[in-house]
This record gives sequence, C-alpha cells and structure tokens, in this order.
Amino acid sequence: MNEAVCNDDYLANMLKTWSEPSTSTLPWLDQLRSEAVDCVNALKMPTTRDEEWRFTDISPLIKLPFQVAKEPSQLKIKDIDHFFLGEAKIRMVFVDGQYSPQLSCITHDNDIIVGNLSALISCHSSEIATHLGQYTDFKNNVFAALNTSYLHDGALILVPHNKSVTAPIHLLFISTQKEVTSYSRCLIIAESSSNVTVIEDYVALQEVTYVTNSVTEISIADNAQVNHIRIQRESDQAFHIADCTASLAQGSQYKSTSVALGARISRYDLNVKLADEGAECSINGLALIKGQQLADTHTFIDHIKPNGCSQQLHKCIVDDTAHAVFNGKIMVRPKAQCTNSTQSSRNLLLSGKAQVDTKPQLEIFADDVKCAHGATVGQLDNEEIFYLRSRGLSEITARNLLTYAFGAEILERIPVISLRHQLEQTVLKQTQRN
Amino acid sequence: MIDKDSKTLLEIRDLHATVNNIEVLKGINLTIKSGEIHAIMGVNGSGKSTLTKVLAGHSAYIVTAGSVMFEGKDLFELEPEERARAGIFLAFQYPIEIPGVANNQFLRLAYNTVQAQRGKEELDPLEFDDFVRDKMKLLEMNPEFLDRSVNEGFSGGEKKRNEILQMALLEPRISILDETDSGLDIDALRIVANGVNQIANKENAIILVTHYQRLLDYIVPDYVHVMESGRIIKTGGKELALALETRGYEWVSAENRTAEGVVS
Amino acid sequence: MSAVLQNLVNQPYKHGFVTEIESEVAPKGLNEAVIRMISAKKKEPEWLLTFRLEAYKKWLSMTEPHWQNVKYPKIDFQSISYYSAPKSKKKFASMDEVDPELLRTFEKLGIPLHERAALAGVAVDVIFDSVSVATTYKERLAEVGIIFCSISEAVQKYPDLIKKYLGTVVPVGDNYYAALNSAVFTDGSFCFIPKGVKCPMDLSTYFRINTESSGQFERTLIIAEDGASVSYLEGCTAPRFDTNQLHAAVVELVALDNADIKYSTVQNWYAGDENGIGGIYNFVTKRGLAKGINSRISWTQVETGSAITWKYPSCILRGDNSVGEFYSVAVTNNYQQADTGTKMIHIGKNTRSTIVSKGIAAGHSNSSYRGLVRVTPTADGARNYSQCDSMLIGDQCGAHTFPYIQVRNNSAKVEHEASTSKIGEDQLFYFAQRGIGAEEAVSMIINGFCKDVFQQLPMEFAVEATKLLSFKLEGSVG
Repeated sequence: MNEAVCNDDYLANMLKTWSEPSTSTLPWLDQLRSEAVDCVNALKMPTTRDEEWRFTDISPLIKLPFQVAKEPSQLKIKDIDHFFLGEAKIRMVFVDGQYSPQLSCITHDNDIIVGNLSALISCHSSEIATHLGQYTDFKNNVFAALNTSYLHDGALILVPHNKSVTAPIHLLFISTQKEVTSYSRCLIIAESSSNVTVIEDYVALQEVTYVTNSVTEISIADNAQVNHIRIQRESDQAFHIADCTASLAQGSQYKSTSVALGARISRYDLNVKLADEGAECSINGLALIKGQQLADTHTFIDHIKPNGCSQQLHKCIVDDTAHAVFNGKIMVRPKAQCTNSTQSSRNLLLSGKAQVDTKPQLEIFADDVKCAHGATVGQLDNEEIFYLRSRGLSEITARNLLTYAFGAEILERIPVISLRHQLEQTVLKQTQRN
Repeated sequence: MIDKDSKTLLEIRDLHATVNNIEVLKGINLTIKSGEIHAIMGVNGSGKSTLTKVLAGHSAYIVTAGSVMFEGKDLFELEPEERARAGIFLAFQYPIEIPGVANNQFLRLAYNTVQAQRGKEELDPLEFDDFVRDKMKLLEMNPEFLDRSVNEGFSGGEKKRNEILQMALLEPRISILDETDSGLDIDALRIVANGVNQIANKENAIILVTHYQRLLDYIVPDYVHVMESGRIIKTGGKELALALETRGYEWVSAENRTAEGVVS
Repeated sequence: MSAVLQNLVNQPYKHGFVTEIESEVAPKGLNEAVIRMISAKKKEPEWLLTFRLEAYKKWLSMTEPHWQNVKYPKIDFQSISYYSAPKSKKKFASMDEVDPELLRTFEKLGIPLHERAALAGVAVDVIFDSVSVATTYKERLAEVGIIFCSISEAVQKYPDLIKKYLGTVVPVGDNYYAALNSAVFTDGSFCFIPKGVKCPMDLSTYFRINTESSGQFERTLIIAEDGASVSYLEGCTAPRFDTNQLHAAVVELVALDNADIKYSTVQNWYAGDENGIGGIYNFVTKRGLAKGINSRISWTQVETGSAITWKYPSCILRGDNSVGEFYSVAVTNNYQQADTGTKMIHIGKNTRSTIVSKGIAAGHSNSSYRGLVRVTPTADGARNYSQCDSMLIGDQCGAHTFPYIQVRNNSAKVEHEASTSKIGEDQLFYFAQRGIGAEEAVSMIINGFCKDVFQQLPMEFAVEATKLLSFKLEGSVG
C-alpha cells in the first residue's frame, strides 16, 4: 500500500508514474520494488552539504523530472551497428531503457543463461531472487532506490560453475530520446570457478538532455573471475547516475575498467566487497572530460576477510572548465589481516579553468597489512617533454603524445581490441592540440 | 680447519622441528668444533633454512624433539637476542628492510650490545665510525651505506655485504650464512667470500648453507653435509660438493635410499 | 609477540597530580554576564568586550561539528567554569617571588624553569591555568624590540597591535570552538617581532591545565613583521582527572614580507586511563597567515596526549612565494582518538607547501590524518608535497587517512603519498638476532619512523619528544 508521497518534490515527481504491480506471480519481486519505493520516500535528494556529494552539485537534475520513455524508438540495426564489437558473440541492446530483441543477438551455444530479466525471471526465479537487489545499497542510495522501484527488466548473465566464456558479452544501452529517464539494470552472476568478460556500454544517438539511472550487481563466487568493462559515452548534455556493486567470494577476482567520456554530469559509484578470503580486485578508471562536464567517480573497496588484494589506478584528464571528482575509499576491516592494497589517483589539468577534487582515503583497522595510496594533480612532466624533444619531437607533438599516453595507460587494460581501438581514437581526438 | 685440539662449539642431537604444524626437521645430528667450516647443501625444501632459523630462535619454528648445546649450554633456554649476544650469528637469506633506522645507528647499537655482554668497552659514535669504516673496506663497501636505512633500497648484493659487515663487527663464535651466495655476481661473491675468510679463525666456526658449489671455490669447507627431507643423509669432505656439482643431488638421494633399503 | 608489544605501549601517565594553589574560579555556566565578568576582571577596553559578545552571538547560532572521526559524549557547556585564576595577584619581579608550590609543580614536570631558561637560553612565559604568572628574559628581548608577554598584558600595553591583528586569521565565527574561545578566552601569549629582527632565542610557553573542570581557552597571537623571524615552542602537560576537560585554544600567526615563523608543539596532556576514562578534549584552532611575499610559516607538532585531539594547524599562503610547512607526529594508545592534519590554502603565486604526517596507533586507539590542500585559481605555480604514514601496533587500533585535494589552477603540482605499516615480527627477529631486545627495537623503529618530523624540532624539544615517545611506547617486556 505504498503511496508515492515524498519529502522531496523531485522524488515525488519521479514516482508519479510508479504503480503497484498488478501481477503477483513473483511476490518477492513485488516486495523488492515496494521496499525500494519506501526507501525513496524515506530518503532525500543529496546536496553538496552531504559529504559524499560535496563537489557534485546535482541540483540541475531536480529541474528535470523526466519520466520513462513511452514510445519505443524504431531503430534499425544499421542505425547502431557502428557501436557493435566484432569480438562479442552475445549482444543485448536496450533502447531508452527498453530491451530490444530485434537489435540484440543472443546465441545459445552453451550453458550460460543470458538474456533480458523479464523473459528469464519466471524460469530462473530462485537463482535471480538470491542475487537481485541483494548487493546494491538502495536503502542509502536514493538513485539506486529509484532504479529498483522501476525494476521490470534488465540484463541477466549467469555463468554456471566451471564455465569459461571466452567471447566478451556486450551490453549496449542506447539513448535516442530527449527528456526521458532510462533505468538500466544489470545482474551478473559468476558461479564458482567460472570466467566471463562483460562490457557495459552507454551510448547516445543525439546530443540531447536525458537521464540514465543505472544499477549493476555482480556476484562472483569462489575462484570465479569477472572482467567488467564499463564505457560511459553519453550525450554531453545527459545526466548519468550509476551504481555498481561487486561481491567477491573466496579466491575470486574482479577486474574493472571504467571510462567516462560523456554526460554533462556523471556520477559513478563502484563498491567492491572482498567478502571472503583471498579475493582480488583490480580497479582502473579514466575520466576524459571537457567543456562544462563534471565527472564524479566514487569507489569503495571493502576488505572484509584476510589475504585480500586490491589495486586501483584512477586517472582524470580535464580540459576547459570541466570538473573531475574522485573519491576512493579503501577500508581494511579488523579481520582483514594480510591485506595488500594500493591506490593511485592521477590527474592532468589541460586548461587554466579546469578543476579537480580528489580524495583518496584509507581506513585501516588491521595491523598486518600493506596499504599505500597516492594522488597527484598537475601538468605533464617537464623531464618527459624534454626527453622527447631531445629525440627530435616538437614540443607540441611531445605534449600531445604524453597526454594521449596518460589516458592510454587505462585503455591498455581493456582486453577487447576493437573497443580499445574505438576508445583510443576518441582519446586521441580529444587530447591533440595544434 | 680440522684440529684435534679444538673445542666443541655446537652439538645438535636428533633435532626435530615444525613450521605451521608440518615437520620440516626430522632428526638432525651435527657437531661443530672451533676452527671448522661446514657446508650444508641440499635441494629446496630439504630443511636447510629451517635449521638456520631454529638455531637463531625464530618463533615460527617449533622444536618438537632433540637438543642443541652451544658451548655446553642448552641453546633453547636462550631468547633470540641472548643467542646473538652469546655469539650465534645468522646472515639472513633475505635481510629485512627497516625503513627509518639508519644503518650506522643500528650497527653501533648491535655492536655495543654485544660488547657490553662480553664485558668489553663500548664505542661512542665517533670511535665507532672509524671502526666500522675500517671493516667496510674489507668488504669494499661504500661508506654512504652507513647513512641509509637498514637494508632499505639495497640491492641483493649490498644486503648480503651488509650482513657480512655485521658478522665482522660482532665477531660471533658461530656464523650461519644462509644462502649468502644467492643473488651475487661473481665479483660480489669473491668480495663476500674474502670477507668471510678473513673473519674465520681457530676460535670460531662457520656454517655455509648453499645450493651451489661455486661459493665453496672461495670458502673451502672442512665438511660438506647433504640434507634431504629434514635429515642429513650424507657427510663428506670438500670433494663431496664437487661430486654434487657434476652428478646432481639425485645420486646421493638414490644412494641413501639404497642404503636405507639395505638396513631395513 | 603481540603481548610483548602490548606491554611496550602501556606506560602510566607521569604527570598526574594537582597543585594546591588557591584558585579563583568563576561559577559554572556561560552567558553574557559571565563574558562581561571576564572582560571586567581583566579590565579590558570596550572594543574587546564587543569582540567577545559578537563571538558569543555567533557561537549561540552555531552547532557542534560532527564530521571528524572521533566519538565522545556530548559536552555540557553550562557545566564548565570559564574563568580560573590563581589568587596571588601580584606581579613578580623575579622567579624567587613565585609561589614555591608552583615551582615545585614545574620541577615535577621536569621543567626546572629558571635553570632551563638560563641554560637553554629559553624565555618561558609560564601559563598556569589561565593567568600568566612569570615571564623571564623579557628585558633581553625588549632590547631588540621584541614583545613577549601574556595576551592580557598586551591588551593593556599594546591595544593597537591587538586590535589590528586579533581575529584576523581566525575570525570570531570561524568554527564552533573558535567562536567559544573568542567569547571567553582568558589568557595566552602575545609575541611581536618587529621589522628586520631575528629573535635571538627560542620563545617557549609551558601550558598546564590545573583546576578540575576549568575549560582552558588560550589565545595566542604571534606577529612577525617584514624580515622578522621567530621560533616559538609550546609544551603542554596536564594532571590526571576523571572528568573530561575541554581545551579549545586559538592560535593566530601573521607573517609579513620575508618573515618566518616556526611554531613547535609537544602536547602530552592527560590521555585518560587504560579504559578510556578521563582525559583532555583538545579542540584547537591554529592557523597562520603567510601574508607577505616570501614569508614562511612552519608548524611542527608532536601529539602524544589528550583523550581526543582534534586540530589542524593551517597555513593560508597569500603572499607570493610564501611557504607553508606541517610536520606532525601523533601517537595514540589505549582509547585515545586523534583527528589531526592541516590545511594548506594556496592563494599567492609560486606558493609552496610541505606536509609530513606520521600517525602511530596502539591499543584500542584511532588515529586519523585529515588534510586539505587547496590551490585557488590565482595560485600560479603552486606546489604541494604531502606524505602521510601510519603505523599500527596491535590489531585493535585503527589508522585513517583523509586527504582532500582541490585544485583550481593547471600550473599547480600537488602530490600526496600515504602508506601504512606495522612493526613486523620479522623486523623484531632481525634486531634480536643482532642482540637487540624488543623494547629497544620498537623504540628505534618508532623514532626512525618519526625522524623526518623530529628533525624539524629545536634540539631540546627533539630530545623531549623522543623521550615522550619512549614513555608512551616502552614498558617491561614479557
């Protein structure tokens, strides 16, 4: 009996189109959505007075209470095939938040369960119920709560025990319409000793204003490996608010490479829980922004059990009056002895009015650990420029090369060659001066 | 050198020890007399390093049976620092880095502690500086190592030289060199070996733990022991090391199995 | 081995006694009348009363901050007495006239005042609770034009200087505790180094909190005019009490063109017992304004005491080429909490700042470094280097690093590095194998860990700091 009444006009507006689910074939799902609505009602929109949003003013969003798209866009393969990746045998396409079977390509050549949630949820109800909504902290994150309120569909990937999926799986989220909010949702379940590579890719066909609200949950069982690549190349006028939570079991590995190129304001929260012994994660990020863009990345790496290992490198290249924010928290809980953790935040400001706020944080409650973090903000290294010039390069060429190389260090960690090449071209274009 | 007038320094009897509840030493018997140089050889995992750690008193190694007498005293009655002060020196295979603690400060403290124990005069920083610089020449060490933190940022060879420098300063009764030759190039090996040879005399004894014959070209052992699975399975003179070099460990091992077979 | 470490870090507080000198204590509570009373007792000019009342109004409109990483029961500001003065009112011409009981207190603290002053050439402006009772070397300083006196004396004698500078670095409404201090401060030190004068000796003040439940609200103001330089030492010890005591000082430094101020603190107030009962709440606002070109402000602190330490000695680098430095050692044990660090605000061109912070946590304590480096759009060529290392002793404590880096200028270069380490058993074994026992090994490793900071302290302070750390972290082995 939830009523869409909020303490906040924007949130109230956002819940206007929410309705009590009529079907109750899956009571657990109805309950999850209702709980999420309760959370939206209990929460407030964050402001810059909240520590977690101190540098990211999302008040412009409040003026844009966009609803979900009513009419599905009539896209043809040829409109979007330039986004396709040759290596990916499986592709799921969502247009303005709606799953498009026509544009997707799902091969059923092996035992993995992949497809859109609403189609698979009835026959895999119990597996999905165990994971869906269980990792993201929507009780404290109003955007994740909104997303969960509107949870009807999404991408599901379930890799069974011992299964190694060699070809990457491409999840393509396309925005075509202005003034809509798209709720995208991904659930990735890697059973024990399995292995999978997933590309989460957000693209736009028009430079218009819209909102993407994305939630991804990743469960990685014992000794499984997930390689997660996340590309955010939305319209420069869009708002992109995303939350991803990965939960790592014993001996499992999570590799994440996220690249933020688009959106007027983007915010990506990545939470990695090393929930059992010997888990490892490698978190790499690049924000390449210009104009008036704001890109905010918050990561939280939570070492809960012993012998965990985490490595993080986050880079920002900021031009014009753009503003990059990085907040990287590493927690080592009392039981997480013998943790090994390193974190590095590197920032390059290309213009006099560019801004960066970085806050790497260590919170350590165990003594037998090795933790180190570092942060730098600055320009290109003069010694490096000199070295290249001494080899005959012009100063401008040297600068261009080094700026490109600064970003390319992250791209090199993307194991999908065609995607890497696409991104290298983008970075090259954006880092070259005459 | 083997000398019939020499005294027994170390007497190991049926020594058993465990690490993480795994028995690694399974009955070691070894007698070391003053003036002698012993080489202990064997493949990885045969228990060589464990033996050195047990002798030095590392808390991770638990002695489950047997005894070790050092100059007539029960070694296991002594804490690690008491063993050091009594004259047992371990040159570590992987010397620990101690950031922030200056090498000269550390060396002087260690030196004066041992001197005080022996009822000898301690040195003030200036006297010690002269003394240590002299010893460093022996090892062709750059004096700048004195101002750096203990072993921090030292190369493998520099760390090993720093170990031998400490050995030269502390003048131990028994020096145990745990794979001091590993990671050394041929020049460094020669320098380290020269240092050890100059320290060796009639009063003290040296145990060299090594995989390879090449160190023994420079420091000639009186005895060579081969370890396998936590026991000494063969003892011989320096020629044994040469035989091992050409024939490998397998033949000793095979010979030992045959011998055991005959016994049982 | 961890039991050994536990013993090593447990050492009873050495300065737990109360000096029995009659004190004049104001009734508990805070209101406008109390502030008027303080101001009247101190015969202050009208403008200073206005300053206090304005601060009080600001304070009433503010709420206690809670963002810091410390936990403590709510402070009842109405149960604190805001004025406490030893009753002997007369001024002393020499040390002989000072209450012998007081001198004995200093003896017990290991501060043989006259000896120390004479031998070390240190002028000690002794603050006993809130009123300055003795000042030495004043005359010698006066010869070169240096003013070094209590702030109440300065208010009477040099009102223009006080009026010109008081509250200019830390405005009355800067933060909750600074506002409270501005309303009720009773005494503190004032130091003025005129143009071109290099202060011939280190200036030193020993603070003590003596009367139970008397909040201490020191106010320190140091001005270095063009080309002047001074090194100021502040040392703190307080006796043992079981109710927590609040200490909310404000320190303001102003450095004009080419001036140089070095401010060193060794803080060893009562930290509470091994169960976390009692101890001082040390909520301090310290800030320096590097106002002139080429000016330099350098903070060095060794924080070993207090139940809660919450302070961020900061530098506002306004003058072109000005330099800010912060060197800190914070040691916490038992249930102590420290949230300390600095702010470096780069405004002038080619301003440089260095931050070196060493946190050592033992027992159930928590040690946090919180720092801000802000480069504003005008600060072309600004440089910052920060290094924040933590060491944990035992597995019940916590170490935290919260660096905020805000850069608004692309010619700036900011570098931050942090690491966490422990005293490894392998390290202790290595020492043992060379004949060095655990106690000495721990002491050596800790002192090595803190070396970069101790090097910044004046000689006699460095010796004291090294000893303090040993007191704190030594004990019987086994």
